[in-house]
Amino acid sequence: MGSHAKAWLVEDESAREMLDRVLTERPFLLLPPLHRVPLRVGNVVELAGPSSSSKTHILIQAAITCILPKLWKGVSYGGLGHSAMFIDLDCRFDVLRFSELLNHRIMEAANGSSSKVGCHQKDSEAQFARMKPYNEELFALCMKRFLYIRCYDSSEFLATLKTLHYRLQKEREVHGVNVHLLLIDRKSWHLQNVSEAVVQEIRRLLLVHPMLVMATKAVVLGNKYSTNELTWNYRKWSAVDNPYSRNITSDQQLPYREYMPAAWQSFVTHRILVRATDDDLVNGEHQNNSIYLLEWLLPPLNSLDKFTVRDTGVFILS
Amino acid sequence: MARLANLETEYPVLDSTVRNFCASHGIFSAAFAEQNNSSERLKEGIAQVLSVIDDMHQPWLNGMELLEDAKRNKHVFPTGIQGIDLLLGGGIRVGQLTELVGPSSSGKTQVCLRTASNVARNHMVLYLDTGNSFSPQRIAYFLGKTINPSSAQAKNQFLQKVMSNISCHSVFDIFAMFDVLHQLESYLRCQDGRGGCQMRLLIVDSISSLISPVLGSSSTQGRALMTSAGYLLKKLAHQHNLAVLIINHTVGGEGGYSKPALGDSWKCIPHSRLFLSCDRGSNNYNVSILRHPSMASGKAARFVI
Repeated sequence: MGSHAKAWLVEDESAREMLDRVLTERPFLLLPPLHRVPLRVGNVVELAGPSSSSKTHILIQAAITCILPKLWKGVSYGGLGHSAMFIDLDCRFDVLRFSELLNHRIMEAANGSSSKVGCHQKDSEAQFARMKPYNEELFALCMKRFLYIRCYDSSEFLATLKTLHYRLQKEREVHGVNVHLLLIDRKSWHLQNVSEAVVQEIRRLLLVHPMLVMATKAVVLGNKYSTNELTWNYRKWSAVDNPYSRNITSDQQLPYREYMPAAWQSFVTHRILVRATDDDLVNGEHQNNSIYLLEWLLPPLNSLDKFTVRDTGVFILS
Repeated sequence: MARLANLETEYPVLDSTVRNFCASHGIFSAAFAEQNNSSERLKEGIAQVLSVIDDMHQPWLNGMELLEDAKRNKHVFPTGIQGIDLLLGGGIRVGQLTELVGPSSSGKTQVCLRTASNVARNHMVLYLDTGNSFSPQRIAYFLGKTINPSSAQAKNQFLQKVMSNISCHSVFDIFAMFDVLHQLESYLRCQDGRGGCQMRLLIVDSISSLISPVLGSSSTQGRALMTSAGYLLKKLAHQHNLAVLIINHTVGGEGGYSKPALGDSWKCIPHSRLFLSCDRGSNNYNVSILRHPSMASGKAARFVI
């Protein structure tokens, strides 16, 4: 009895050791353009914004960063090397665009490292041709780590969540890597009656399989700034002054109506608002990419990030 | 979720032992199965229940499988109109919903008829007509323009073959459309996998005249019908490899500019949205991209029919 009591008093590890352990097992993730706030597994991030404000793009960017390996055959790709799961409630995912972005990232990393070696033009071409089978192998490896499912209605979504636990266990056995990212893409929440069940299932899942959850949500910003694509197009065609353009100055707080049920609202730990602006970034190749504004609502930061979407992914402007 | 007792006839492993075990843990329906068991038989029973739930949702796919399916099945069909095909990078894509928006007499039905005549040479087409705008004479005219001059009999045979590939249904309200789409779904389920002429194009002319009567601000039933119609079309497009072409009208918006009908909730449902307009007094039409999965919106082109 005495030895048991003494065993209680002996410490397991110091605070510093615990911090070291937690940081290696559950590292912080910095995914652009969400790089202002470090995210960890177990966080639930909600991306809100009006339609066509690149929300799905940010999710895809996060998925690509997750499935790329950190280091592979001597080239550093800066990824996490884990699997990602994508639940598409919107049924609008374009896999060709996804594979394009992944290819661009792989080639960018490969070219970046070859140029560091400082070889001549001929040598770099030969090296590129040599790298091609490696790139394809890496591409196939990464694509196999991306899991996708479509749900056409709420009962399918619920059934998916309930069997997700076993699916994750199977994945762990087959691939040996954990799933670290769960992405839910939906434009509107028509699942009012099952939202409590959904939140409960995801909560239970996070206890056993720690993951980072990112979900998108479509909002309608205040009436004056409603996105009307036709007026936007007219502005692009002609130089006629259009009083209804979406001129959003950076210091305006745009209100939007929160329509999610309380169960979901309390479940979310981070909130972001994204919207498109009227400004365009004119590249040399006559390609106008729109500039998007990103604002952190929870935790509230007083800064607005500007970014644009390019072939290689999201590019931060400021 | 089905009661376990009712599932016993289909899955004999779920006999009374398994059910007693489940009852002792408070599990009465398939949804509550937990994995906390000791014997092999119970494990089998639980696995069976899980596979029942697994059947209720679509299968999980990984990235390579998705890419394979996209490359193998999701082709691009040219509409036969040069301006539009160049703008869209080939034509309309299988597995996606393409919406044509425009004021009245801006060429929407003409584009649909031209696309139907093009696709019907090799595949079957279903045309859902809400306003009696389907015109077989126009289709015959389009076909006549493109075939080589040969004997009248050969021409006739060709016309007959192509026209028999197009089926036209008149629907005048949204419930009739749901009926037709559900029948189409069961027909396609039997048809998939068999060789021969497959259905590849579905045209709905126009969806706004079906949905606008039920959309009202007092009840949410109209919006629910609209989104379930949208999801049904998406499901048909993706699972049975159809290209879906939808026609929508415009309504007045702010500042006198017209905007597409059916509101914000419909905006996110089609994959691509094209805006058509007509130059007054001539055969020249303008088309511009409102939304496209891989192209910047605002790109415009002109075409003639």
